[in-house]
Amino acid sequence: MSRVSKIRYFFEQSWLLIVASFIFGLLIAVTNASLDTRIKQNLKNKLNKLMKELISDANEFKIVADQAEIMGDKGKVVRTDIYQAFDANESSVGFAFEAVGAGFADKIKIVIAVDGKFERFFGFKVLSSSETPGFGSKIAEDDPASNEDLVDEFKDAPAGEVKLVRTGKRREDKSEANDDEIIAITGATVSSEAVVRIFNTYTEQVRAKLQEKGLIGNGR
Amino acid sequence: MDTVTALLLAFISIVLINNLVFTKFLGICPYLGVSGRIDMAFGMGLAVTFVVTLSGTLTWLIDNLILMPMHLEVTRYVCFILVIAGAVQLVEMYVRKFFPSLYKSFGIFLPLITTNCAILGLCLFINLWEIDSLIDAVVRSFGAGIGFTMAICIMAGIRENLNLADVPACLKGAPITLITAGLLTLAFMGFAGMIR
Amino acid sequence: MADEARAGPAVYKETLLAGLWRENPVFRLLLGMCPTLAVTAAVKPALTMGCCVIFVLVCSNVVVSLMRNLLKPHLRILMFTLAISTFVTIADLFLKAFVPRMSETLGPYVPLIIVNCIIICRAEACASKNGLAISIIDAVGMGVGFTLTLCVLAGVRELLSTGKIFEAQVTPDWFVPWAAMSMPVGAFVTLGLLLGLVNVLSKSRS
Repeated sequence: MSRVSKIRYFFEQSWLLIVASFIFGLLIAVTNASLDTRIKQNLKNKLNKLMKELISDANEFKIVADQAEIMGDKGKVVRTDIYQAFDANESSVGFAFEAVGAGFADKIKIVIAVDGKFERFFGFKVLSSSETPGFGSKIAEDDPASNEDLVDEFKDAPAGEVKLVRTGKRREDKSEANDDEIIAITGATVSSEAVVRIFNTYTEQVRAKLQEKGLIGNGR
Repeated sequence: MDTVTALLLAFISIVLINNLVFTKFLGICPYLGVSGRIDMAFGMGLAVTFVVTLSGTLTWLIDNLILMPMHLEVTRYVCFILVIAGAVQLVEMYVRKFFPSLYKSFGIFLPLITTNCAILGLCLFINLWEIDSLIDAVVRSFGAGIGFTMAICIMAGIRENLNLADVPACLKGAPITLITAGLLTLAFMGFAGMIR
Repeated sequence: MADEARAGPAVYKETLLAGLWRENPVFRLLLGMCPTLAVTAAVKPALTMGCCVIFVLVCSNVVVSLMRNLLKPHLRILMFTLAISTFVTIADLFLKAFVPRMSETLGPYVPLIIVNCIIICRAEACASKNGLAISIIDAVGMGVGFTLTLCVLAGVRELLSTGKIFEAQVTPDWFVPWAAMSMPVGAFVTLGLLLGLVNVLSKSRS
């Protein structure tokens, strides 16, 4: 008798809680189901938009290496998708991939684009960063006031190991000797260094992965 | 040895560099309310450290062992807050029963802690930072609590002295505390970039 | 209940205006500080956060008010928390779906609405004791008061740190932006000074 009445008491006290939990759970499930595809599409759209900005001839992007494993900065394995860009004639115009590394404040996520033969960079775009506004954030912005643009520094840089320098010739005036030098942004040295480090960590490994798949030649 | 260094760096980073109060704006309400005297501040800090370590661990476990494998991430917020509320209740009951003297020193703050943004905030940040290992989550949660305790004790020390200072009438109380907190934030900015 | 019906519009107006100035959640009740400092670096995120809070406040006040006679006293905080976290999850999903950039900027501060003291306090103090109409109006008043406060703070910070408001250039060329305003320092100091200002204004009124 007392056991049954205990159970009855339990239900009397908590029936509202149980009913409410069901209703709320249902609400969440319904909202999630209806908005899920849209959310996933938003993420894809963002990546596609940035990749298109980098590789202007590209018509569509196809994943050629799904979740490729890259040995990251601190010895941790990171997974990234490597995309190949095709133009309207179905010929390859370049490759693009997400890269992530530690910045001044938190992680910096960028999209790196390389040309079809993996010889020169097209540049990079920042996906997300929380660098100090006004200082480190200059790696992403295109500040018309100053003529410093980190993205420009990477355009047409040779697809290999790059070096960060404090001063030097801008990309337009570069010669063979200092082609692989990237000039840091004033006031954003650590953030510029972080971007260079990300490039250096990822480039060779992505090249190796693509060579494995036979998508680019072995000769350099 | 490498893992220990990594953990040590993670601990220092969350206490000094990514301090929850000064850089992430978490835990401001109790920070303003309870930092009047150092002994109360220390009690609050201890209570928060206790709860946050427990919550951080539990939520990490639930997130990685139950929610992600079963693709129930959408219920994350509901689960986290229920776990935190439950953990706080249990801790309060346990401490009141078995450690009455401890209960006297920080027990009264425990029910307040459920709505402390720092706890839920830390659990969400651990999720955001994609922390892989349990021990890393435990170390960071503990570090967050220590960081909060440190911040609130510093503030309490300053406020005890502010009582004797000549603060303009309109700024007495919360305004001057906020301005002081701002200056402290500026000081702590000096630690930024210390650890890559 | 009877005099509530008679008092009608006057009580409604009073409740609505209370949230805007007399009982402004941030400036007077000192609630909900965490998002106030975190998202007010620019006006757009502040407005988005404000709208989310209004949505969650109204929904949770409605639900609590409808359930108020059925609540068991020792389980009520649990019920409030459950309701609030559900609506915050829904709001977060909507943000991710329709304004993904804002969702990224606001980041973890959207789920932190769950522990925003304003919502639980209004559920406890108002919705659990009053009818549906008053609860909704109270929620709207508090929510709009909160949003306005956030926008004022964000306006000051954005203007001084970038010279723009709502991403439109306002200041003349010779203005050198104060980058510190977009950092935590600026947040704390600006809120402190604004609170001081509010204290001065309310003293001179009374």
